[in-house]
Amino acid sequence: MAIGETTRDTTRAPSTSRGMSLATRESLSGYLFISPWIIGFIAFTALPMLASLYLSLTDFDPRRPEAIHFIGLANYAKMTTDPNLLNSLGVTLRFGIIVVPLTMAFALGVAMLVNHPRLLGRNFFRSLFYMPMQIPIVASTLVWIGMLNASTGWLDLGLRAMGLPAPDWLNSAIWVTPALALMGIWGIGNMMLIFLAGLQGVPTELYEAARVDGAGRWASFRRITLPMISPVIFYNAIIALIGTFQYFTQAYIVSNGRGDPAGATLFYNLNLYLEGFGYYQMGYASALAWLLFVIVLTITVVLFRLGGKWVYEAGGVR
Amino acid sequence: MHQPRSRGSAAFALMAVIGLIASACGTATSPSPTQTTAASPSAPAPSESSVLVTPLPGANGMTSDGRPLIRWFVGLGTGERPNHIGVEQAVVDKFNDEHNPKSPNYKAGNKDIVLSLEIYRNAVAYDTLATQIATGNAPDVIGPIGIRALQSFGDQLLGLDQYIASSGVDLTQIPQDLQDVYKLGDKRIGIPMAVYPSFIYYNKKLFKEAGVPEPPHKIGEKYDGKDWTWDAVAELAKKLTVDKAGNDATSSSFDAKNITQYGLDSQWTENDARAWSTVFGGSGSAVADDGKTAQWPDNWRAGLKFYYDGIWKNHFIPAKPAVDGMAGGNTFQSGNIAMDVVHLWYTCCVYPAEGKAPVSDWDIAVLPTGPDGKVTAKLHADTIGILSSTKHPEEAFEVLQYLATNADLTQVYGAMPAVQSQQDAFFKSLDDKFKPLKIDWDVAKEMLLHPDYPSHEAYMPNFLKADKANKDLGSKLWTTDGLDVDKEIDANVQTLQGLFSGG
Repeated sequence: MAIGETTRDTTRAPSTSRGMSLATRESLSGYLFISPWIIGFIAFTALPMLASLYLSLTDFDPRRPEAIHFIGLANYAKMTTDPNLLNSLGVTLRFGIIVVPLTMAFALGVAMLVNHPRLLGRNFFRSLFYMPMQIPIVASTLVWIGMLNASTGWLDLGLRAMGLPAPDWLNSAIWVTPALALMGIWGIGNMMLIFLAGLQGVPTELYEAARVDGAGRWASFRRITLPMISPVIFYNAIIALIGTFQYFTQAYIVSNGRGDPAGATLFYNLNLYLEGFGYYQMGYASALAWLLFVIVLTITVVLFRLGGKWVYEAGGVR
Repeated sequence: MHQPRSRGSAAFALMAVIGLIASACGTATSPSPTQTTAASPSAPAPSESSVLVTPLPGANGMTSDGRPLIRWFVGLGTGERPNHIGVEQAVVDKFNDEHNPKSPNYKAGNKDIVLSLEIYRNAVAYDTLATQIATGNAPDVIGPIGIRALQSFGDQLLGLDQYIASSGVDLTQIPQDLQDVYKLGDKRIGIPMAVYPSFIYYNKKLFKEAGVPEPPHKIGEKYDGKDWTWDAVAELAKKLTVDKAGNDATSSSFDAKNITQYGLDSQWTENDARAWSTVFGGSGSAVADDGKTAQWPDNWRAGLKFYYDGIWKNHFIPAKPAVDGMAGGNTFQSGNIAMDVVHLWYTCCVYPAEGKAPVSDWDIAVLPTGPDGKVTAKLHADTIGILSSTKHPEEAFEVLQYLATNADLTQVYGAMPAVQSQQDAFFKSLDDKFKPLKIDWDVAKEMLLHPDYPSHEAYMPNFLKADKANKDLGSKLWTTDGLDVDKEIDANVQTLQGLFSGG
């Protein structure tokens, strides 16, 4: 056998089995491994999304499936005159503007506190602040409803004892948003944990160098901490904004699923739920779901564009 | 070297995929109502499941051995509690025994029918039924279901008149007003099964403490020498409303910000402006006779104003925060409400499930004459309906008749049977429950003769949205001081008109 032939046989060896190369076989194995997820994604996400896109062009009512009609873009046109949609967008945006910065600032503050080297029992406090995340959201909301009751709630009893005015938190269109914000601040555990991880990733040499250069605490925070954890801030901001548009459970429980008082808790998702499962306007609810998708996508894209100007990444700014 | 490992990986991946898919599709966790592989299809499922009882197997309205299958869907109203399920199953078993020609207990003349029970938690029942209808897998018979809930599926229900006529069913024991409650236009969509008239529950201890006589037990009786009207009720309720210092609401020292006991409530009315208008104003409708014009009759306006002033001006009715603070909204049970307008179904809940009952001595009284000059007792009623998609309408009607007149069911539901001959046995069971108290159940019987008609839960165009609009109004009045009630009602009428016109 010639040397050349031997070499050729050796190089062919990996592709002899059923005519597939090693790379192809490994790819197939990989696809096989992830196929449960792919099947699940197609069956439970992609197909329902396509179905909802089609339904958004119809007047589908599940109680009268035989009476389904293709109505083109009528559901999307209806959005321009729907007062509930405008109200729900306003409620959601107002809540987002108040709650997102507030919870982020609070979570960052708490993360810095529980990251402080001189704090005794740091792990205990970290666990304590994370603990609310372990409580089912329905249970915690019911407890908050009791605490915020204007007659018997601990908060108002305390305010009255101090001679302060005690608002009717959950029945006032003005106070219900701050009440929900309070609940939101209580549940900062996840955000705090992510900030904590970010803070722990800041090299201590930077602080030492800054101290040598005469920088104070505020300057260190502004010039070192914030830039270094900017990717974490960016991540938390995106997650919090998406969470705002997904806000549902607390609003549903507080308002008995109705958006009370006076529509002040009619969040976007609650309105969508009411249209689909309260009034059985599945076609219109599907259109609302697609609008939600577009809104969240747009916000995310805008944030990514803006993030390029201030988010630090090792090796250079994005 | 690579080849054997790759084969091993592929085999492992294949097994993992099969395992994952199999476990994901396992029958043990499937909540599908049409699942037919359970060993005991009718056995109650674990309590945390939203499907409490799964239906029998079948396809196209037939069992596998070719017998007509009628599916009974429970969960839209009462019927899902653990003590209900056993009785419902026993009723179904007995029905099946009497309708199986091969059974020794088969009754001649009965149609050959297999009745299948399926029970869902109320929280998911509406969506489940809508989904079943949408997928062409609808049940035949639904209920018990109230008047308001029935409107959600009203146009999907079978008109019963021809089956009532052909079967010769005797409805003479059910008052005509009650029968008419279940008319959707000209279509009769249900036969009254259980009725719950409303009246005044009163706490005798609070009356004794205030030193005032108890309210009348008969229509036409005077109270303290005066006609029993809502004005008389208001006057009495003020005397029974007490602040922290012990002053009642007629006193100049009364502190409206620290009330510990209220004179009057109409609890669990679900914020519904139509309901409150009816309680305090009498019968009416938000829809004019033409069926498409929104309105709010004068007696309803008067009723809502009485209610609103009772909360915010005269302080004898609790606003929402106060209600939430009293036994989680069960105000009469808290012992801090002297008079409470509630339905007969409230006999379920006068006493707490555990612990000492704050209310130990109570009775019931008739409602007063309203601003329309009539006595009106807002009525709740449950029925059984048949979906028009059923493949066996006559068999379904036979099932409906059987269930709607079944005394075991009405008794376990705590419901007053619509059939008059069954009512004494029902009240006897209540007497046993509340011994040694002697409750005057004649009040309930008398109130049943004065139902609201049209019902406060009656049909409106674009029903679900219109119903929410009325609840939005009720909620606003219940939680907001300083409103102009007429202005609020006018705004609501405008909203309703938009909804009636298809908005």
